[in-house]
Amino acid sequence: MARLSSLVDLAVFVMLLVLVAIAAGLVGSLTGLGGGVVVIPLLVILFGASVPIAIGTGFVTILATSSATGAAYVRDRLSDLRIGMFLEIATVPGALIGATATVFLTHANLESALLIALGVVLLAIIPGSLARRHIELPPPLPSDARAQRLGLTGEYHDNALGQDVPYQAAETSPALGVMFGAGVVSGMFGIGGGVFKVLALERFLNLPMKVATATSNFMIGVTAAAGAGVMLAAGYVNPVVAAPVAVGTAFGAYLGSRLLPGLQNRTVRLLFLPVIAALAIEVILRGFGLP
Amino acid sequence: MTIPEPREATAPPSVKPLPPEAYVRMTLVLRVGLGLSLAILIGSLGAYIMTHPGATSGSVLSANPILGYLSFPGLGSGLASGSVEAFLTLGLVVLVATPLVRVLSGFYYFRQGGERTMTAITLAVLGMLLFGLLVIGPWVR
Repeated sequence: MARLSSLVDLAVFVMLLVLVAIAAGLVGSLTGLGGGVVVIPLLVILFGASVPIAIGTGFVTILATSSATGAAYVRDRLSDLRIGMFLEIATVPGALIGATATVFLTHANLESALLIALGVVLLAIIPGSLARRHIELPPPLPSDARAQRLGLTGEYHDNALGQDVPYQAAETSPALGVMFGAGVVSGMFGIGGGVFKVLALERFLNLPMKVATATSNFMIGVTAAAGAGVMLAAGYVNPVVAAPVAVGTAFGAYLGSRLLPGLQNRTVRLLFLPVIAALAIEVILRGFGLP
Repeated sequence: MTIPEPREATAPPSVKPLPPEAYVRMTLVLRVGLGLSLAILIGSLGAYIMTHPGATSGSVLSANPILGYLSFPGLGSGLASGSVEAFLTLGLVVLVATPLVRVLSGFYYFRQGGERTMTAITLAVLGMLLFGLLVIGPWVR
């Protein structure tokens, strides 16, 4: 009887994780912030997971959702593989440093500090999701010498506009700086950091909105692999937690991508962003030991 | 929405665009990698629940069941003996390896196109990813 009870306990636990992850994937997709932003605080608050295990699960979530949604972007050649690969030279070392810092903070019994920092980062990225330029095709800017040398240009066919759209990367140095920072944040907290990446791709490289979004998605997967590698090898990715969360978040993100075209993007974001803000505040309060 | 006049964006003559097959193969890598890893993870998670009747949500959260399988020898012997925990680890390894294979494909195509700088950048990214997984992770554990 006790065995049956624990079997039911574990099965219910897994099913609850899937359901919460579906909701997280949906909200993450509709807000454009990614499922990890919702699922990591929920794992700590609702399920009592330790902070590094929640962060390790965040990486698995990112890998599953970016591979699920990224395949279509690559197939349609919206992801610029050349620009994405070039910028990974900054995000990957950032992610390695961030993930290593998380492990050291955990070993030093500074999980509370990690929790507070996670809450602050969550609050900080919320305005970023509303600060996008909403300019489909930005006016062309001259490329810097590095972008010209590496041929950081491209072209995609825009179905909505019915035309081929050429583009060229503008300022690579500030973009590399922002990407390094995005890598550190991603590696440290197990979130995609897409807000920072899209910001750098749009503001500094002057890429069209669709290319920036698709290239960011491509990069998120590679950056997450850097952080996930460290956390997995360090023993902070628990598959019994991560597997149901990855499946649920990927499904929720898929649902979100189907729903999004029929919804007013900004309205949806304004509706759900307070939920993420509330989670961030709860995480900060827990970090300070408050109920 | 702002739609400016059509403009030109031309790469220098030494830079060739990636061939269409590069995009097709990378799409395939993503789909196969994700499908394979999720299939392994879901299957082995079901097997884990059935074969560990004493495990509870509390015990699972307090102790990571794959800690004994995080080295290559440990994973290899676990897979050979049919350990469910080893298969859970394998599912995670395939998921993490999928972007690495994507970077490896990029390396192959840049090298084929004779682009030395992009080949070196891609190789450096791949090297850093492997360094994180094989050196930093075990070191900080």
